[in-house]
Amino acid sequence: MIKVKNLVRVVILLGVLLLVFVSGCMPGMDGGCSGAQAQGWSGFAPFNGLICFGSMEGSVITLSPQARSENKTFPAENEWIYAIKTATPGAACGAMCAPSSSASGKGIYATPLVVGDLVFVGTYTGKVYALNANRGVVRWIYPREGYDTVGAIVGNIITDGKALYFGSANGKIYALDALTGDFIWEFQTSSKIWTAPVLDNGVIYSGNYGGNVYAIAAETGREIWSIKIPSAVASSLAVKDQLLYFGTFDRNLYAVDKADGTTKWKYLAGNWFWATPVVRDSTIYAACMDKKIYAIEAAGGKEVWQFEGDSQMVSTPAVTDKYVYAVSEKGTLYKLDIANGKKISSISVNYTVYGNPYAEGDMVYIYARDHTVYSVDTVKNIITWDFSSAIK
Amino acid sequence: MVDIWNVAILDPVLNGLIALSQMLWSNFGLAIIVLTIVVRIILMPLTFKQTQSTKAMQALQPKLQEIQKKYARDQKRLQQEMMRLYKEAGINPLGCMWPMLIQMPIWIALYQSIMQALAATPENLILLSQHLYAWDMVDQAIPLNENFLGLKLSQPDPTMILAILVGLTMWVQQKMVTPPATDPRQQQMSSMTTMMMPMMFAFFTLSFPSGLALYWVVSNIIGIIIQYLVGGGWGYFSFPSFRAQPQTQTATQKAAEQPSKALKDGSEKKKG
Repeated sequence: MIKVKNLVRVVILLGVLLLVFVSGCMPGMDGGCSGAQAQGWSGFAPFNGLICFGSMEGSVITLSPQARSENKTFPAENEWIYAIKTATPGAACGAMCAPSSSASGKGIYATPLVVGDLVFVGTYTGKVYALNANRGVVRWIYPREGYDTVGAIVGNIITDGKALYFGSANGKIYALDALTGDFIWEFQTSSKIWTAPVLDNGVIYSGNYGGNVYAIAAETGREIWSIKIPSAVASSLAVKDQLLYFGTFDRNLYAVDKADGTTKWKYLAGNWFWATPVVRDSTIYAACMDKKIYAIEAAGGKEVWQFEGDSQMVSTPAVTDKYVYAVSEKGTLYKLDIANGKKISSISVNYTVYGNPYAEGDMVYIYARDHTVYSVDTVKNIITWDFSSAIK
Repeated sequence: MVDIWNVAILDPVLNGLIALSQMLWSNFGLAIIVLTIVVRIILMPLTFKQTQSTKAMQALQPKLQEIQKKYARDQKRLQQEMMRLYKEAGINPLGCMWPMLIQMPIWIALYQSIMQALAATPENLILLSQHLYAWDMVDQAIPLNENFLGLKLSQPDPTMILAILVGLTMWVQQKMVTPPATDPRQQQMSSMTTMMMPMMFAFFTLSFPSGLALYWVVSNIIGIIIQYLVGGGWGYFSFPSFRAQPQTQTATQKAAEQPSKALKDGSEKKKG
């Protein structure tokens, strides 16, 4: 009797454990037992022949491509690393107490911004750091010590040279003094912001997850106009001439008039335009999560060409005079002819990539989810060096 | 295998949940509650069968205890007598497990859907895009509104209220179906196992998104209601404010009255 009774209980217990753990950890549940962790996906900011990025470990790292290609010990001359200190919830009771859902991730999403001798970095833990670009030491931190953080910063920080502007997951757009980090103004929107604003002629434009797009005076933080669209704004905004461009969760790429927000055209694709559209000359190059890169006429929204890769296109392509460099989620770098979208070459880093590639000359830099920066020579079509950001 | 699971089970449940949220005034908390209720209604025949099976097992308890006492020193004979009793009553001792196991994929899909739909991190949102149908209703619902009754559904409840609710409802559900043991050692073990699962889930609630905890609470409450209706009362559960002894006795007495019926039914089936 005891045996049968115990057997029944063991089966029940196993069933429950199966439900809790297997359901969370089985392959269908992407990203692990409690969903994908917030690891970050910073792109690269170039300055003085160096490249600066935010790592998945929560550090700001400046690399010298020259030193890396010579395989010098890190940090070589001009290179530095600054580890951002973050509290890790759940340290007392292990991984089970560290939810994936909170803004506790240490990784950095926003690509650093370099202005003069300062590097500005927004963190997922809701702080902005100003670091000395030459040495990687802190100049200022906002909010100041003892004050609450501003909510996760996922989108990039932008500047007009005097002030910094960024959106936060608390739904606010902030303006800070770039030199001192002093608060200038904040603008409360209706919903979470995980994207970057764009600045044009003294006006800040930003979308949010409430399906709103706002035009705000950069000087005062006052609203000029706002529009409501049927779906949330998925991508950061791009601006060129009279139009603003952005992707939405209803699978459209929108072009709206920057004067009043009137929709000029929209282009429907097979999935979200998550990446920021890149405007070059009279064409928009937009990466879409339907695995395609679209070239679309900026003025009228007519498709020029499209290219299909091996998986979703999450990152914003790097566009040069002749080429479009796009990286798929599976980690394949495509070199496309800007005129017709024909593939010239491709090479894989064999790991998931969400971060934006950066192109300089024939070299393209990619930060993959294996915490490694890859340098790709797109002429020889080889990986010339790699660098793991998981360093002490 | 993963693709089949996603296409056949996960994606329909996930998209259904998101569409439901859009229909319910963009309230994802309500969507979780409604979908949990709908799924439990669909699975009602299985749940009913499971409850009946559990009830029949409970009904045999006094008789089993009698046999256990009688053949305490002869394990082989004890097993034989037990199997004979089960056979006569027309019960498969593990039969009540099958309906639960059949329901398991549905619960797993629900669990995964809630985790995926909440898309708490930017990475999760990207992963979510791979599972969505090209429905306007779904497109317009993303990203979901995670606020519900003061909770952030994508984050753990900091107040511990949900953890207590999850543990309490699960404990009540367990108590309703766990017969009291006569042997003190068995009683201790039984109490431990009855407490273990609720405590485990309460602990999980502290770490997992509160949307999931909400689903657990609703699911448990529905389970209690079904058990109450099908089992004809609170079963072996006694309210702390009541006199525990008479209540337990009543439940045991009730159970004691039923084996003869179960045995009778079994023998009639045999004759038939």
